[in-house]
Amino acid sequence: MSPFGVRQRDTSFHRPNPSQTTDHSRSESLQEAIERAAHLLPSQGPITVFIHHNTLHAFEDMPFVDAVKQGAELFGCQPYLTEDRFRQELVRGRIRFGDLWEVLRDDLKEAAEEKIVDLCSRLNLRLAMLQSPLRTGPTEELVWFVAETDALRRIRAGVASTVREPLIAETRRWFLRDLRYNGKSGGDPPFASMLRGIFDRLDESKVENWSEAEWEEFTLRALWATCCRGVAGVPSFAPRTSEPIRHRDWLLAATGADADWLVNDEFIRFCAAFVDQGLTRWRLPRRDEGFFAAFSTLYRQKSGPSQSWRRTLRAELCRLKQEKTGPLDSIRESLDMLGVDETERYDYLAATLLALRGWAGMIRQMELRGDRVAHAAPQGSLVEYVAARLILERCVLTETARQAMAFSGPLRELRDAARKRLGPPSPPAVEPRAFLVFQLAQLLGWTPERLARMGAEEWTELLREIESFSEWERRRIFHRAYEKHFYDRALDTLALHAAEPARGAAPPRFQAVFCIDEREESLRRHLEEAANDVETESVAGFFHMAMYYRGATDAAFIPVCPVVIRPQHWVAEQATADCRDEFERRTRARRLLGSMAHRVHDATLAFFVGAFLTLSLGVLASLPLVARILSPRWTARLRERFGGWVRTPPRTRLRLERGDAPPGPEDRGWGFSEQEMSDRAEQLLRDMGVTARFSRLVLLIGHGSESLNNPYNSAYNCGACGGASGGPNARAMASILNAPGVRRRLEERGLVVPNDTLFVAGCHNTCNDSIEFFDLDRLPESHRQDFEAARRDLATACERNAHERCRRFLSAPLSLTLSEAQRHVEARSEDLAQPRPECGHATDALCIVGRRLATRGLFLDRRAFLASYDPTQDDEDASVLTRVLRAVLPVCAGINLEYYFSYVDNRGWGSGTKLPHNISALLGVMDGAASDLRTGLPWQMVEIHEPIRLLNIIETTPEVMLGILERDETIGRLCRNGWVHLALLHPRTRRVSVYRDGRFHLHEPRTRSLPRAASSLAWYRGWRDHLDFARIEPIERET
Amino acid sequence: MSDLNIAMSWLGGLAIAAPLALVLFLGIASLLDRRLTESATTKAIRAAIGIGLLACLGVLVLMLISGKRHVVVVLGRWVETEDFHVTVKFVFDRLSVPFALLSFVLSGTIASFAERYMHREAGYNRFFVLYAVFLLGMIVASLSGTIETLFLGWELVGLSSALLVAFYQERLGPARNGLWIWSVYRVSDAALLLAAVVLHHMTGRGDFHRLLGEAAWPEGQASATGTEAFVVGLLLLIAAAGKSGLIPFCGWLPRAMEGPTPSSAVFYGALSVHLGAFLLLRVSPLIDCSPALGAVLVVLGLATAGLAYLIGRVQTDIKAILSFASLSQVGVIVAEIGLGFRYLALVHLLGHACLRTLQFIRAPSLLHDYHGLENALGKHLTHAPPPFLRWAKPDTLARIYRFAFERAYLDSFLLTCFVLPFVRVFRRCDELERAWTGWLQGNRSGAEDESKTPSLGMEEVT
Repeated sequence: MSPFGVRQRDTSFHRPNPSQTTDHSRSESLQEAIERAAHLLPSQGPITVFIHHNTLHAFEDMPFVDAVKQGAELFGCQPYLTEDRFRQELVRGRIRFGDLWEVLRDDLKEAAEEKIVDLCSRLNLRLAMLQSPLRTGPTEELVWFVAETDALRRIRAGVASTVREPLIAETRRWFLRDLRYNGKSGGDPPFASMLRGIFDRLDESKVENWSEAEWEEFTLRALWATCCRGVAGVPSFAPRTSEPIRHRDWLLAATGADADWLVNDEFIRFCAAFVDQGLTRWRLPRRDEGFFAAFSTLYRQKSGPSQSWRRTLRAELCRLKQEKTGPLDSIRESLDMLGVDETERYDYLAATLLALRGWAGMIRQMELRGDRVAHAAPQGSLVEYVAARLILERCVLTETARQAMAFSGPLRELRDAARKRLGPPSPPAVEPRAFLVFQLAQLLGWTPERLARMGAEEWTELLREIESFSEWERRRIFHRAYEKHFYDRALDTLALHAAEPARGAAPPRFQAVFCIDEREESLRRHLEEAANDVETESVAGFFHMAMYYRGATDAAFIPVCPVVIRPQHWVAEQATADCRDEFERRTRARRLLGSMAHRVHDATLAFFVGAFLTLSLGVLASLPLVARILSPRWTARLRERFGGWVRTPPRTRLRLERGDAPPGPEDRGWGFSEQEMSDRAEQLLRDMGVTARFSRLVLLIGHGSESLNNPYNSAYNCGACGGASGGPNARAMASILNAPGVRRRLEERGLVVPNDTLFVAGCHNTCNDSIEFFDLDRLPESHRQDFEAARRDLATACERNAHERCRRFLSAPLSLTLSEAQRHVEARSEDLAQPRPECGHATDALCIVGRRLATRGLFLDRRAFLASYDPTQDDEDASVLTRVLRAVLPVCAGINLEYYFSYVDNRGWGSGTKLPHNISALLGVMDGAASDLRTGLPWQMVEIHEPIRLLNIIETTPEVMLGILERDETIGRLCRNGWVHLALLHPRTRRVSVYRDGRFHLHEPRTRSLPRAASSLAWYRGWRDHLDFARIEPIERET
Repeated sequence: MSDLNIAMSWLGGLAIAAPLALVLFLGIASLLDRRLTESATTKAIRAAIGIGLLACLGVLVLMLISGKRHVVVVLGRWVETEDFHVTVKFVFDRLSVPFALLSFVLSGTIASFAERYMHREAGYNRFFVLYAVFLLGMIVASLSGTIETLFLGWELVGLSSALLVAFYQERLGPARNGLWIWSVYRVSDAALLLAAVVLHHMTGRGDFHRLLGEAAWPEGQASATGTEAFVVGLLLLIAAAGKSGLIPFCGWLPRAMEGPTPSSAVFYGALSVHLGAFLLLRVSPLIDCSPALGAVLVVLGLATAGLAYLIGRVQTDIKAILSFASLSQVGVIVAEIGLGFRYLALVHLLGHACLRTLQFIRAPSLLHDYHGLENALGKHLTHAPPPFLRWAKPDTLARIYRFAFERAYLDSFLLTCFVLPFVRVFRRCDELERAWTGWLQGNRSGAEDESKTPSLGMEEVT
């Protein structure tokens, strides 16, 4: 078995050829080994541009089930929710017993009905193990439990009387028949000794007069004794835990002394200093020369009165410096000294990297994506990281081993010494295994007599059966049943809704295009409820405008597009000609204020000036302190008012038209050519299937989120914009679509946008539910009225949306009115003390790609990503669908899987509770004073999530979809390996089919009708938990 | 006039009774396992802080009206023999009233912050019980009129602080750092206790006015001789150094940043770290008697300030940066006390506490702020060695950087010079005892026990 389960993965990365032995190729393969191991590191970049991605990204080429198991072993995390939690869900009805049965049957297939030692079928055995919590624990605990509780007196609760009564009666019969009168003389000696043990407690002489309770006790004691006797000597079938590989793990296991405590403490501080993006006032000396050089420089300095390992480290570094040993050679040397041979080298390096995976991962990210940080890491930093870490580890291990187990030999012998100290592994204890069988026997009515007759082989078979259905296996089954319940409901809903004839759609008064984000689902629903004659569409929130963007008041360009795209264009916001002077004035004022604020802040950290400042102004700090905490909304308004005169000038434009110059970050390279603009515009319209029936007014609405005191703010922004707000993209696209030149070119390509159609851009703030519109000064009078009406409708929708969101906030009373709800979410976004400004993507579970008609009027509980796509307008090769899915599916899967993992093991995969987080190096957060850099999502973001994989429902035919799965590697891999689920809604027959084992199977709805409600409000009011899907049918207004 | 006196006494009593009632209310409910709802806890805290704050303000107003500058509230003489008195006594004067007001205002603000911040967190109740104990400790310590009363408050603050640092007890880091802080606090407590004993020995009772003269703060004339003043003062200085993180105890403050942000903010960053300085202010007339003591104060304060500044420059996480900035100001405050600028020190202390609290609770906004700052300045922020080191050669700079990076080796120093020898001595005693009992029992069971105790590496105490 490979330690940490790493080695199995070798096939997926290129394993170096072991026959290469020359020195040069050895150094190459070492580098490759590190490179390969680095894939295991978290791929989260700086927290300021938070990109959701699959936590187990490195395992995507394996099936989900295997990947979570391996990942969990490797990282020491949980693959699914706990068994207890699943049982609670079973009791609550969230997991149905029927689903459990079906899933188990499906999982076992023909093996389900096989008999286990003639006791019961495999299916029944597993069902019993799933349904009832089986107590297990260390031997001492179980011995205590058996001795001190009712375990041997009363049959456990939850056993049906149809099982319980026969169990006692048959045992009684057995005893009276076989043991007491017939078996006493010639009986089995083991029975005799067993009975002696029981009769120490029960008076045998009065056996004829025993009460029911005494017979019950006798039954249980006989059962227990039989089980203990039966399991003794049977080899263990539980999945073996792999042996650790690092010296530190052995030392820890043998002595309880943790060398990593010292190593990490030192290394965390050093890594932070190395990766720092400008938080520290004084930069690490020789930082630009690389990790190893900086490390060596720092630790070669004379140290003060301190532990001896620091002196060893210094001597060691001086020696390396003298011998001019490079990082790779140093790693080789360290591995030699540690006694790590070629075969275990990769595993050892992987384990070393994972010891501080957050920091190591960040260094790798800074190496790979230097464009996303202000100060990148030079190439090769990760190798240098490993080199430095191994040297430090050697020094600390030597000292710790000496102190903890008086070990002074060479380090290569340390692991063996620790192994010797630990002694050989003990054989499996009897009691825990016996107790499992004992409990199952009660549940399934296995009599002591039956068990006592079993031979060693039969016991082996029984135990193999029980132990191979390990906890992880049980959780895997539970998880499938947990998902199935939801999937069935979702598929039923869509099948039933889509089957009904579509309502006659009046020509829309205006159209509104949103992001596919599941948070916009409710806003769209409310808008359509409030204004029945309006249509909404959706598209990935960067509106096909991949670009680097710089706002009028921003310092630098940032990429606003999905993370997989590297933009080729630059767009800047500029003040209009008439505002230039005003803009200049404001910029000067802002710069002055900024540098003053910077100086003041800096000075409060210094001492002489700081003393002066705290003396003179310190007490005044209590005013903003108290005001902002006691009345966040009011102070926000005040700040708004006073901040106005340094903010963006009133009228600005995006510089979109580029001249002849090639695109580039300098002034003349900004913008797009007309050709490029029309390409993007056409793609956008065709992707959504909006190619005719244009309204007079079309709104393009991106989204972003603003909250205070929240390092994770970027994670709440638009995922399709790379963790930035989608407002600029919508604005750029609207301007492009309004440009007469673009319209002309579109017309040439057969896309006629009527002359009186106007595109207006806006940005929805998902935290405080407001919409800001852009370029309103360019709104022609002809459209002003239409726009004002649309704005009113959107404001109503926002208010209702805020109200619906409030049901999820425990601190918002359920009795809030609409306007109170709006105020509540506004206060949330301005509150310094609010760790949950909004719920983000929590609860996301569905992704529906198809015409809005299929989902319009459905209450989807803010759980569905919705992408507009019209199969009737697609070509033969489904090129539009392929494009849409490429943009939508991986992004949504990434979001969903990150939430999944951060929820099922928040401390392992996620970043734990947000409250002690401490921003480090401007790149990420640590827990408290010092810890590994925490990746993943904090508990406050995921706590209402339901950890299920994303179900994609796509409006297309099986043939088309199978073709796409075949052609597109990413989508195919995600679907085939079960990282997401896939179902189709047939464009014509409206039947739903589900992808399983490489084929699509028709789905038969289990219900005949959907619940109905007059409005969303009527459906969700008063309820905090997840809701069923329903059809919303507004009461028709009388005309 | 006497009506006014009675009113002041009552109001003074109320200011102490309010936090006490809060501790009892939250504590008893917890002990009886009657878990309060979040809103009940919140209401109780608001009520207690509101009453306490108003009572304190009331005393202040009455003091201004009556012109009285020294109001005493005695809650019983607990021990009274011929030459030994223990009194529970509270004093309202120009030092204690501002400090108590500060405690109420900051704690109240932070309570309001925490009730939203801690919402739905496991341990919500525990947090606020500890919070209440902390508040009571602060109020008792700031208003105390005798050294025993001060010690009582001092202990409550120390206990609740250490437990709040270890708030996330399921992780190893907070538990270890909590233990570290607790150990430093015990050293400081021991010094304070010794000072109390010496004070009793000198004056027969622990009342400050016996030692510092009858006149209201800060005009008291200490009645001690120079040597007496130096000895008591030095003990009090050790106590203050532990609590305020002066050299050589600087290392505990950044370690205290393990708890939830609001507790780190107000408790270590603003209130508890000033308690040492407050103690020195309280006994400041003593410093007049011994110029040597004043000199020690100035040197220690300035050294701490300089060191903390230097260390702060190389820190890479926001909470550590703010902690060292705090220490640097506390050092300056101590130096001011040593120089005899008492009002200055008081104002400095109040201002610093308010400012630092604001900075601490805005710590999670750091990214937002930096982004805004960079946008305003139109460029990325730069960083360089401190200005006064610009002359140094790269090698010297690297050496100074290392010194700052290792936090001046203060923790290593404490560890190798005090903690480890201490632990070794007691472990040796333990071994001897085992051998001894084993020998007495006439068997080898002692040796068997020994092998079961996990051997302790030094990282256990770091």
